[in-house]
Amino acid sequence: MDGNLVPLIALRPGQRGRVVTMNVGRGKARRLMELGLLPGEVVEVVSNSVGPVVIRVRGMTLALGRNVASRVWVEVIS
Amino acid sequence: MSEVLVALAGSPNVGKSTLFNRLTGGDVHVANWPGVTLQRAEGKTEHHGIVLRIIDLPGTYSLSAQDIGEKIAREFIVEEKPDVMVIVVDATSLEKSLYFAVMALELYQKAVIALNMIDAAEKRGIHIDIQGLESKLGVPVVPVSALKGIGLGVLLDRILDVAQGRVRTYPLRVDYNGLEPFIHEVERLLRERGVLDKYPSRWAAVRLLEGDEVLLDELKKIDPELAEKVNSIRERARIELGEDPERIAISSRYSLIDEIVCSTVTRVKLAAPTLTEKLDELMLHPVAGPIVSVLLILFTFFLIFAVNTGFPLNILFDHMGYSELAALIEEYSLSGILGSLFDWLSSALSEWLTSMGYADWLVGLISDGIIGSIGTLASFIPLLLMAYVFLGAMQDSGLFPRAAVSLDNLFRRFGLSGRAFFPAALGMGCSVAAVVSTRAMDDDRERMVTAMASPLIPCQARLLVLLALASAAFTNPLEQSALTVSIYFLSFVLYLLVSKFLNKFVFKVEYAPDLVMELPPYHRPSLRVIWWYARSNTEHFVKKAGLLIFVLGVATWFLLNFGPSGYLSQGDISKSYAAILGNLLTPVTSLIGLPDWKYALAFEVGFVAKEGLLITFSSITGAADPVEALRSMGITPLKAVSMALAMNYYVPCLATVAALFSELRIGKYVLLTVVIEIVLALLLAGTAYWIGILMGFS
Repeated sequence: MDGNLVPLIALRPGQRGRVVTMNVGRGKARRLMELGLLPGEVVEVVSNSVGPVVIRVRGMTLALGRNVASRVWVEVIS
Repeated sequence: MSEVLVALAGSPNVGKSTLFNRLTGGDVHVANWPGVTLQRAEGKTEHHGIVLRIIDLPGTYSLSAQDIGEKIAREFIVEEKPDVMVIVVDATSLEKSLYFAVMALELYQKAVIALNMIDAAEKRGIHIDIQGLESKLGVPVVPVSALKGIGLGVLLDRILDVAQGRVRTYPLRVDYNGLEPFIHEVERLLRERGVLDKYPSRWAAVRLLEGDEVLLDELKKIDPELAEKVNSIRERARIELGEDPERIAISSRYSLIDEIVCSTVTRVKLAAPTLTEKLDELMLHPVAGPIVSVLLILFTFFLIFAVNTGFPLNILFDHMGYSELAALIEEYSLSGILGSLFDWLSSALSEWLTSMGYADWLVGLISDGIIGSIGTLASFIPLLLMAYVFLGAMQDSGLFPRAAVSLDNLFRRFGLSGRAFFPAALGMGCSVAAVVSTRAMDDDRERMVTAMASPLIPCQARLLVLLALASAAFTNPLEQSALTVSIYFLSFVLYLLVSKFLNKFVFKVEYAPDLVMELPPYHRPSLRVIWWYARSNTEHFVKKAGLLIFVLGVATWFLLNFGPSGYLSQGDISKSYAAILGNLLTPVTSLIGLPDWKYALAFEVGFVAKEGLLITFSSITGAADPVEALRSMGITPLKAVSMALAMNYYVPCLATVAALFSELRIGKYVLLTVVIEIVLALLLAGTAYWIGILMGFS
């Protein structure tokens, strides 16, 4: 599983991944990066069910709409 | 230097408002930033005989001028050049909150860092090397706890030190790695041409390379040729470095932050699972989360309205047969007390004025028209105040964003985000409170849509009318509650459908705003801050909407009490201008099966306040009990259904229209809201009535 590129939305709660790329518009990308969601950063999924995906990155808890979360690609860390 | 201008800046959830409130002691002037509904708070304090004027800048995550808050904060710093900029950061999570500080220090170096929540950091075993941080950032760093009032004297000392030049501050230099040669190139060009010189040149160069639209537009206006050149340098950088310059810039800032945190912060113990993590397991659970959120909101709503108006306790007890208890609760609720106060004031004034020999109409105007309008306005104040306390507590404690997350899934289908639940919940009490609460939305389109749709939710006054109609026309309690419940259900459905309609046809956007939201750690809300927030917002509303409520209230009094024959001293409402207007409206009310000027007049009066419908029925028929009044007017089940639908949606009340004006600021949208409601009322009531007729009802 290590090294697999998957969208953030595919991670289960408790799983961690390293951000590789973000396939979102410029404004949104800037917003996410300024919040600390940068390529190279490790994120942990806190909850992921029907609503927004909740993640922890740089000590901050962030809720991402499912649309955004499906466009952030991460490398799974096992 | 007699007055020092201080700008308070920082990201959301770092305790900026608490610090502002502490420093100014609540002596605050609240207004809007020019041209936007964003609130601008300003306060004063004195330290060592020097007056400090403190401006609370909007809380933002950066200064990229991406949204209105960031734009305002940046413009203020650049244009007003405050004597000192105080940057608030969260000591418990420097790796996050230093981002704003770094951006701000690159732009403006006359600064002091307020290292807030130092007590919480120490409790969690986080030690911060203050001197180390000072030398890395180049400005004084003062550990404070705004919540407990620790370190504020030292903070004020440092502010004056920087303002008066006793302490030197140094510009912060971020190493932008590969981007550096391009930065130098742009910086040199800017210097040669002498443009954008109100900004630090290195800062401007970095921002331009990052593609800052606001700055690029500014440059385009002054020097289009240079703007072209800068754009081509940016393209070149992108190609040569194989990466977006913006991404390089942001990660360079974060690298610096990592380095600073690494060398100044030590953690002596591992944090145990915090309250936040445990609570989040519940709040973010796919099933429990939405249920808890809804219960929480309903409970708070219940509390606010029970204290204010006795509702829903009064109605509950009344239906259980304890009507005396219900009346008692109503009488001693805040609005009950206010109501009797104004009744007393009105009759005392009327007696006194009559004894002084003033004309009848003048006595009526003053004691009924003017005092009555002020009374209407006053009755909103406790409701608004408490709605703000509720909103403030939800926001300050961290519950608000969780509830929004858990309800997001449902609301997305209608082009809204989870945040849209709040105005709907508040609307069950009072539409004014609902409209004003939409301010908390950060998506502009969603804010407008929910403000326009929330008056559809039946408020407490409409519930009273609804119950009177149900009791008058139906004898079976089951049928009575069926009517009431179905109107509520229909209203929530309409709230969602009208939102969808507005999104699609007015704002021409079909997707829901995608949530990107910080979930700050839970904490006990600060009562000081909430109280201050509630008080200043209510004051602000009273100032803005008060005049309109007053003027229209007095105008309606004229229509009801004057007719072609002059002042109607006997209170013969059927000869008033309002009755004449009512007759003009009967062709419209005939469409929904109510071809009587009395109904039309009631609708007119109901525009001032929905409970006015019942008052009109009583004063026309002479029966004090509105249920009796309705029966004597020959109400039938079918007419009651039609009336219930029409009454609920025909128009938002006067105070709500005033609130819509002050929140939307676009007359066209207020008008559209009113038109949508009128059309819905006619359509629904008309359809119900004519189907009923076809089915043989009368």
